[in-house]
Amino acid sequence: MLSVKDLHVSYGNIVALRGVSLELAKGEIVAVIGPNGAGKSTLLLTIAGVVRAKHGEVRLGESSILGIAPEVLASHGIALVPEGRHIFGSLTVAENIALGATTRRDRQAIAADVERALDMFPILRERYRQRAGKLSGGEQQMLAIARALLARPKLLLLDEPSLGLAPLVVRQVYEAIFELKRQGITILVVEQSVHRAVAAADRTYVVNSGQVAISGRSADLHGTAAFDAAYFGAASGAGER
Amino acid sequence: MIVIQNAIDAISLGAVYALAALGIGLIFSIMRLINFAHGELIMVGGFTLYALAGQPYLVMGLAAILVAAILALGLERVAFRPLRKASPATLLISSFAVSYLLQHVMLMIFGSRPMGVDFLPQLGDAVELGPLRVPELQLAAIVVTVISMTGLALFFRRSRIGVEMRAAAEDFTMARLLGVRANRVIAAAFVISGVLASMVSLYLVAQTGTVSYKMGVNMVLIAFVASVIGGMGSLVGAALGGFLVGIVSVSLQAYLPVDLRPYRDAFVFLAFIAFLLWRPQGLMTRRADMERV
Amino acid sequence: MSRDWQSAALLLAIMITVALLATLAPPAMQRTVTEAFVKLVVVIGLYIFVGNSGVFSFGHVGFMAIGGYVSAILTILPAKKQVALDLPPFLETLQLPGLAAMAIAMLVAAIIALLVAAPLMRLRGIALPMATFALLVIVHVVALNWQSVTGGRQALVGLPRFTGLWTAVGGAALALVVATIYQQTRHGLALRCSRESEVAAAATGIDVGRERLIAFVLSAVVVAMGGVLFAHFLGTMTANTFFLDLTFVTLTMLVVGDMRSLLGACAGVALVSVVSELFRSLERGIDMGGHVIEAPPGLQEIALAVILLVILIMRPHGLVGDWQLAWPKKKAKEGS
Repeated sequence: MLSVKDLHVSYGNIVALRGVSLELAKGEIVAVIGPNGAGKSTLLLTIAGVVRAKHGEVRLGESSILGIAPEVLASHGIALVPEGRHIFGSLTVAENIALGATTRRDRQAIAADVERALDMFPILRERYRQRAGKLSGGEQQMLAIARALLARPKLLLLDEPSLGLAPLVVRQVYEAIFELKRQGITILVVEQSVHRAVAAADRTYVVNSGQVAISGRSADLHGTAAFDAAYFGAASGAGER
Repeated sequence: MIVIQNAIDAISLGAVYALAALGIGLIFSIMRLINFAHGELIMVGGFTLYALAGQPYLVMGLAAILVAAILALGLERVAFRPLRKASPATLLISSFAVSYLLQHVMLMIFGSRPMGVDFLPQLGDAVELGPLRVPELQLAAIVVTVISMTGLALFFRRSRIGVEMRAAAEDFTMARLLGVRANRVIAAAFVISGVLASMVSLYLVAQTGTVSYKMGVNMVLIAFVASVIGGMGSLVGAALGGFLVGIVSVSLQAYLPVDLRPYRDAFVFLAFIAFLLWRPQGLMTRRADMERV
Repeated sequence: MSRDWQSAALLLAIMITVALLATLAPPAMQRTVTEAFVKLVVVIGLYIFVGNSGVFSFGHVGFMAIGGYVSAILTILPAKKQVALDLPPFLETLQLPGLAAMAIAMLVAAIIALLVAAPLMRLRGIALPMATFALLVIVHVVALNWQSVTGGRQALVGLPRFTGLWTAVGGAALALVVATIYQQTRHGLALRCSRESEVAAAATGIDVGRERLIAFVLSAVVVAMGGVLFAHFLGTMTANTFFLDLTFVTLTMLVVGDMRSLLGACAGVALVSVVSELFRSLERGIDMGGHVIEAPPGLQEIALAVILLVILIMRPHGLVGDWQLAWPKKKAKEGS
């Protein structure tokens, strides 16, 4: 479904990605993990069209999507929930969710999707008419995901969905993510928190210093020394966890 | 009695300033662009009235609104779209350049002397409200502003593109990620700001009976001050700021000692500096949000 | 020699060359070049603050006015002052040589800048540029109305016109040297750090407010010198000259070259002056083999604005961008 080949991205003189490649098959959950500054967010931002790549290839299905504007990619079925949630604080929960359906015109289906999203995150139904800025961190994260779902995305990109959230809330978020997988959405999750992501994902890529250090099926990688070394970098000795 | 008269003066002037400030604030909230050329949108509205002098007032007015809106759209397409990713300094100078350009084009065509235009002169008559005599124009200004602001508020809450604009004003990139079309939202913002500018020009021409190539300059300066006072990026703030400047301006005019009255604008701007020292982020913005500016 | 000084030396050489060439040109052209050098003083002064801090100022033209008016009051013949103005007796009878008047004007500007800017420098975001803009308006309104000191709306005439070509070049050279020296002091360096990131600079212990104040006062002094030179070039002071149009032209000169470097400032002045002169000649009419081509008046300003826009669209950082002027050097020695 998604194929990234040899992606190079720089911010001015700072190189963020030096030749990253990865693949996602339809219906998979793939985790991309790595330490701070590894380039994980850049990867998602580039796929979503916000950041320009220097060179490389990104394909959705058969077509190349590099260099296409984010709003156009949105109508192609790509939804990004960026790091820090980025909900519209001055708009109501209802308006935030409705904006998720910006690219759609099918009113009745949209209404049905809103209901489903509120079923998935009941707290949002409670707060439906409130200003989104008043929600807690966890609630905002759920709102961000609900909003993304309204687009009926084919590919969902999640940047650090567990950031700053209490463990209980993180569990709820990941339950929602599993539910989405069951609905057939392909998901790419970027996380710093290793356990959740790797446990949830079919396959995992470890990215360090702008490159893919190691990748494989989560079950195979989890707990191996090679995995730890890849995450923390070869220089830092035997895997500390 | 004088106090109430002054109050009405203040509010009606404030209403016009609020309209002007809204035009500036709207563009800024979405694009972080300070549109110096807004004054020239006002000016062009005025000159449209001049060009159509003698026609029915309704035609003149609608034409002014239309021309200003189209010019605003044109400016966006030609001058500001290529500069969307530029630094704030570049954006500022560019809008300054557009303003300068438009002023001198009009100067070249029409010359430097102010020219007379008859537009709604009957609004100069006064209405008797009890012991007060209020010029109809002032009432009209207040009514038009209230209607416009209500219309805008409804637009932003109820219409699809209005909500998209609010989202874009808060977080442009996120809005785009959801599929909000940048070009459409920005174009809509410019059209609205053009309409707002033209309404200011209708008032100015009705009030002074003249147009000149520099007629937008004073208004745009005040509009900036009002926007900054209200908090750049906040539309409610822009309107509030406009009213505040109007009130301060009229109060100073009324209550300053006579020899100091010619310096009224200096005092207004002095008060502005004092305000900035007290609350630099403006009335409606929280300090934390200011860094985005 | 450090790169800054190399750059300055080359710029000085270019300035002197231009001046020498101008001495061969007809008097009208000499006047144009002189005026360009005077504007260069102002733009360099502007650069000292705006270029190093990254903060926009709209108030510098106000300091031009202050410099010009102070110098005017000190140099106009007492007889003329008595007629046009209403000054306290000791000022009325005072008449100083140009240099002394300039020094005093610069001192007055420094004091005013210090008093006025000290509270303002802690403003962040858009508040500071708007405050400087308010300064411009205040100075303008005062100049327009303080009849007894500035002549109000009437032009103040009778200023000795001592700004010749070499005076202007001297002023520009002085401004250039001052700017280069400042740039290399730890104050200049600290300020440029804050230009890139206020937060990082503050974290390193830099007092951003104080550095900005220092730059602002220095900038005001240089700009005031430019104002004095300008006033004694024109021979008159009119309040309306020192308002938005002049602000636009000087800011344009800074930004179109590249506001982040002295080279940019100089390039901007050169570009704008050349374009303006070109179109001014067109307006006067160019004789091309008997056929006179004449442009409508006002074309000069329009052309300037259009060219500025085109340049900014193509090179958003200004003409110079990241280019640097230095002695030709082996590539290996250049840093990254």
